[in-house]
Amino acid sequence: MANDIPEDLQEKAAIMREFGRLRAAGQPVPDELQARHVNATNDRYATGPEPGERIPYFSLPDQEGVPRSIANLAGPNGLLLVFYRSADW
Amino acid sequence: MIERSGLRIAAVSYDSQETLRHFAEKYHIRIPLLSDRDSAVIRSFGILNTNIAPGLRAHGVPHPVEYLIAPDGLVLRKYFVPNYQHRVAASSVALRESGVASEEAPAVTLRSGALTVVIGLSAARAFAGQEIGFFAKFALEPGWHVYGAPLPEGYATTSVTFDGPAIVHQSFELPTAAPIRTDFLGETVPAYSGSFQGLGSLLLRFPLDDGRIVLSGRVRFQQCSGTVCEAPETIPFELPLTLEPFMDAMRSK
Repeated sequence: MANDIPEDLQEKAAIMREFGRLRAAGQPVPDELQARHVNATNDRYATGPEPGERIPYFSLPDQEGVPRSIANLAGPNGLLLVFYRSADW
Repeated sequence: MIERSGLRIAAVSYDSQETLRHFAEKYHIRIPLLSDRDSAVIRSFGILNTNIAPGLRAHGVPHPVEYLIAPDGLVLRKYFVPNYQHRVAASSVALRESGVASEEAPAVTLRSGALTVVIGLSAARAFAGQEIGFFAKFALEPGWHVYGAPLPEGYATTSVTFDGPAIVHQSFELPTAAPIRTDFLGETVPAYSGSFQGLGSLLLRFPLDDGRIVLSGRVRFQQCSGTVCEAPETIPFELPLTLEPFMDAMRSK
């Protein structure tokens, strides 16, 4: 299985696992590992649709299970749609 | 606060609806938290973080980006810092989009000669790593001006800068200055008169200890009339900011 994963991703995964292991153990993260973790995570930073472009259509359940799309999310002047990493960890 | 701008906020992550429900209850969050469980919407926006191998917990997360979207689906603006440790605060977006700062946000008024400057933050509270906004409202008595940029040597450009280790990056922009011809030197230089406002951003360091900090800064300008030119001045100021403790991760409740 591991062979299906490109080499650079495997290198990044090793950095992320070590970073996660130290954090979970409550141990200090050396500056050098911290920097490698930040760089590995921020690589190829993509920011999606540009101003003037249209967003892809979406419909997703909110925390109460109600289906939400731009039509029932936006205010009169629009919507600030925030993509974030996780509320879980 | 952002609702006063006619905007609403919603947030997207790959967490389950169950996790988001618990998170919203724990922190009294009322904005819609959307569950993109298989990261399909994150992918369709083209912002999947492709650095994270399958099998890792973070596989499927996006690069953090915020879009200001018109009701018809057109992107008006997007906000991001190309580093996952940083976010643009909603208060900064509201200040930029509608000139509205949060009600309890701190501001100071500085006066010197013909000039009054009010400098304020977009919010009183922030998290480490956030980009917050600030404004500087200038008002000059009739007949007086201060300078824009670029300038020949010998004049001082109007600027607002912050200092201190809590800020890793900052910006400040004034509207385009109108060219005026100075009587005594006969040069044409960009200048401001009357009332005008600049907007800036402050990227807060990550991590930072929570609690109250004081952001110190300085405003620099040179005020002149048709007949008098004062020496360049620098006025220091301080604005308080409360750094919120980091929210505990839910760790699946």
